[in-house]
Amino acid sequence: MEKIQKFSSEKIIHDLLPKKFGRRGMIWTGSLIIICCIGIVAYIQQLRKGLVVTNMGDYVSWGIYISNFVFFVAISLVGSLITAIFRLANVPWRTPLTRISEIIAVSAITFAALIIIIDMGRPERMFNLFIHGRIQSPIMWDVIVISTYFCTSLLLLYITLLPDIRIMISEREKLGKPFAKLYRWLGSYWKGTEEQEKLRDKSITIICIVIIPVAFCIHTVTSWLFATTYRPGWDSTNFGAYFVSGAFLVGAGGVVVAMWVFRKVYQLEHYITERHFDKMGKILVMLALLYLYFNVNEYLVPAFKMKKDEEEHLVGLFSGEFAHLFWFAIIVGMIIPILIVVFPKGRKPNAMFVAGVMVVVGAWFKRYLIVTPTLLHPFLPKFDAPLKYSHYFPSWQEWAITAGSLAGVLLIITFFARVFPIISIYKTITDHETEQPY
Amino acid sequence: MKLSNPTKIIIALFLLFCLNCHTTMAQDSSAIPTLMAIRYMVPINQVPYLSVNTKKKVGRKFEPVKGISCSVYFNDTSNHNLLGKTVTGVNGEGKVAFPASFKATWDSLTSFKFIAIADAPAGEEPLSSDVTIKKSILTIDTASVDGVKMVTAQLKEKIGNNWVAVKDIEMKLGIKRMLGDLTVGDAETYTADSSGTASAEFKRDAIPGDEKGNLFLVAKIEDNDSYGNLTIEKSVPWGKAVHTQSIFLKRALWSTGNRAPIWLLMIALSIIVGVWSTLFYLIKQMLTIKKLGKLFDENASSSK
Repeated sequence: MEKIQKFSSEKIIHDLLPKKFGRRGMIWTGSLIIICCIGIVAYIQQLRKGLVVTNMGDYVSWGIYISNFVFFVAISLVGSLITAIFRLANVPWRTPLTRISEIIAVSAITFAALIIIIDMGRPERMFNLFIHGRIQSPIMWDVIVISTYFCTSLLLLYITLLPDIRIMISEREKLGKPFAKLYRWLGSYWKGTEEQEKLRDKSITIICIVIIPVAFCIHTVTSWLFATTYRPGWDSTNFGAYFVSGAFLVGAGGVVVAMWVFRKVYQLEHYITERHFDKMGKILVMLALLYLYFNVNEYLVPAFKMKKDEEEHLVGLFSGEFAHLFWFAIIVGMIIPILIVVFPKGRKPNAMFVAGVMVVVGAWFKRYLIVTPTLLHPFLPKFDAPLKYSHYFPSWQEWAITAGSLAGVLLIITFFARVFPIISIYKTITDHETEQPY
Repeated sequence: MKLSNPTKIIIALFLLFCLNCHTTMAQDSSAIPTLMAIRYMVPINQVPYLSVNTKKKVGRKFEPVKGISCSVYFNDTSNHNLLGKTVTGVNGEGKVAFPASFKATWDSLTSFKFIAIADAPAGEEPLSSDVTIKKSILTIDTASVDGVKMVTAQLKEKIGNNWVAVKDIEMKLGIKRMLGDLTVGDAETYTADSSGTASAEFKRDAIPGDEKGNLFLVAKIEDNDSYGNLTIEKSVPWGKAVHTQSIFLKRALWSTGNRAPIWLLMIALSIIVGVWSTLFYLIKQMLTIKKLGKLFDENASSSK
């Protein structure tokens, strides 16, 4: 482990203030904007011609869009894991990770909501949900809980940002004019008085308590969208816990990747240290084992029984059409990361980055496997259906919109890091002044 | 070399087996002819129609043959006697309704011949089938003998200008249900007596009917060589009145949004109100923080 250093406030402010994009930053941002634009073009085409431009049909009515939605919902859980649970558990090394996880949560949940509207084909019909909505429907619960989680995450991000905004207002000469108005509008009222501090601290504690059940609800309700439907692979009482554990894993994986990237790009080696990777590695391996356990339950028990109605679906996953994706998600998304991270050497930044990427990519394909193969194997026999309905491969418009949404999430995170400090300056200074920094 | 008897038997059996296999294979591979049949149908109180059915033996069972185009003629195959054309559907059936233009001919005759001629299916001979039918009418009635409910049916054939009851003809007497007919008594079929009447005791007293207890009794003659297929039905108040109340009017999970179960509403609303009131409280806290900041500024400016 590297030696932990204590820094002066000036150095911390200098190191952690948002920085202008360099050449690589411009290329990165430009690429994301291009991908987003392609996604928008594809979406305009979908709006004009309808969902006929997708390869979804009577059977696969939830394709890559809903897989992507489930992925975004899952990765957004990280906001409650790192910020709320770590804060309530008083985890001392959480400071450099909280804001990263909060912005991942906000950006992911924003696009989770958007992708649902995209999947509807007719976006104006979203309004019908509010005027003709049925509280009996899990889809209604999902809409309510997503909007609640979005507001809660945004509020948490904003409240924790206030002291840093004051620092940025005071450092406006270094930061330049572009965002000075924004900082003033957002937080010029924050003076850091004892009363304000007390209220802010109380508010953060309350929001951390509220966000945990809300986050559990969002993942459980999303799992119920599937589990309340009588279909092979979805007809499970295990789905809530299975989804929550998977969400924790992908969220932790996402934070590890973001930690590595920000550490590298903004030279934050003294703030996001090897200790943080080591600690996150231990959490990652625990979460991966937990999710693997739920996967064993989810697939081994039905495979042992091999009910006739579910046989086609299960065989399709284990050795059929989806076998390569299924085993990729299990081996690359869970087993290899466990094998890497379980050893101390595997918890070094670079190895952790590789494991994090594997977890995130594996998790995306896992969501695809939860949604699509089940829809291709309904309990009722397919009758008089065209042959193409028996297979699903997304159209280019679907791929473009999905890639655009993924790029959109990264773009929000990128712009946020350009405007606000990605590690809390105020909290880092406090840590360095009052206690042993990690 | 002289072969022993058991060896000869084994060789003979082997050759027989090969021959049998060859024959079977040959039978499978050769063109099995498509079969066609024409049926005369008189549905309940409706105009008669002709049903043409095509089928083919595949393996050990018959499969319907679709897409066979055929013409149906009345009495002979002259063009002016063409009743209509049809193409068999996925169930191998094509229908031709009896045109109104044939009414005069129909009324003047007591016996008819229907001929179906179909285009030749690929690699086969053209198909044809015919059926000769005597004009008849089926009636159904009910009676009460010593408190016992009886169902009677009678088939009458037109001979000259008179309708004459047909003796010894077999028919089905049943009750129309959702998925088929239920026999009125114990027997599957009933035979008309010397007066030409088939009768059966109604033994289904507790059977549910509609809201007023009405049942539909049905009499059927099926695939009779002389009279074809005839059906007639009659409504009787012999069933048990069933009053169904729509479950969609109750508060339930499957009801409309405004009829959600109270327990669900209470749980959902209490969660929503609980969480959102906390969020509004937090927003209020933020406004208080903002107010404190303004107060701080005012105090700072007044102290200057």
